[in-house]
Order: sequence, then C-alpha cells, then structure tokens
Amino acid sequence: MKMAFASPRVRASGIESSEFPALADRMEVYSVPRIVVDGVPQWDGSVPERVFVDRVLAPSFD
Amino acid sequence: MAIFRPEDEARVRELFAKLERPVELLVAHGPEEEMAHVGARDIDFAAETERVVRELAELSPSVSVRVEEQPDGFDRYPAVSVQPEGRDVGVRYYGLPWGYELGSLIGAVLEAGRAESSLSAETLERLASLDRDLAIDVFVTPT
Repeated sequence: MKMAFASPRVRASGIESSEFPALADRMEVYSVPRIVVDGVPQWDGSVPERVFVDRVLAPSFD
Repeated sequence: MAIFRPEDEARVRELFAKLERPVELLVAHGPEEEMAHVGARDIDFAAETERVVRELAELSPSVSVRVEEQPDGFDRYPAVSVQPEGRDVGVRYYGLPWGYELGSLIGAVLEAGRAESSLSAETLERLASLDRDLAIDVFVTPT
C-alpha cells in the first residue's frame, strides 16, 4: 500500500477474500495475507519491508 | 452500531489529527459477486462499507468522503479508493473494511495524509528506478 502511494508505477489493492470467493478461488487463497503480483500468487504471510520489496521487484516477475 | 469502541475512536482521532494533507475516500458502488455461504445475503455490504467510511471521515476534518456508482478504474464492488488530496494513486480496498481490513484502511489514510512517504530511503530509491508497472494484491479475511 505504501509503495503505491510512493510510486506512480505501483497499484495496490486489499481484497476481502470472503466477499469475492470466485477471485479468491482463482488465486488459491487458503491462508492470509496472500500476496499476488500482476495476477500471479506469490506467497502468504507478512514480511518486513525490505523482504517485501525484494520479492515484488525480483527479476522473476519480468 | 458504532464501528469503534470509545477508546479506539479516541485513538484514531489522535492519529488523524496528525494528517499533513487532506485525504479523500472514494466509495465505489456497483454489482457485487454472488456469495455462497449462509447469512452472507443478510449483510448489505455496499451500505455497510459506506457507513464505515463515513464514520471514519467524521473523526477528522482532513478526511472526506465521495460516493460514486461504478466509477472508472474499479474491478469489483464495493470498493474504497484512498486518495491523497483527492488524487487516485491506485490504492484500493475491495470489500467491506471491517476487522483486519479496517485497521489496514486506517493505516492507508495515515500514509496518504503524510507529506513524505514512511518507506525507507532504500525502498524509495528502488521504487524510483522501477521501469514497469506493478499490481500488488493482498488477499485478507476479516479475522
């Protein structure tokens, strides 16, 4: 969320899984928070800022 | 029913008093996804979302509310867009913001109300060199 405020390149959404079950199913949400980047599920759980940034900016997303 | 206990309300007021610029909360209404589980239809998610957001905005003169029917740039409803000085910077909450999401929405208002990002200088530097768009979705539940 903070990244979206800080960069015009970044959009961030918080999604209430129980209200959007079809979408949550597609993203295979079994445990929360589930982090999805560019429509691809990545990992579950809270991580420190530095780790979060490392993961979302990882070259594998190119 | 009030969304906050009196002590929590006082705490949020205190936090909102530190906002350095105005924050607008855009509530987007539109067609909602069918929910299968029992009891779900008893809740009017759109009305509840608007009520929660209006109650939040009452806690600070710097926080305002706008309500629109299917505005551009929303994938699903109900939704809340957190807009520093009324600018859409791509921050959305989809679904009724209660429980965990309410805390997260308050955090987003606080960040939107800051003149400077609370992220580390290192993170800001890495974001500045980002050469592509990035869409981050965080799936949560109320508890």
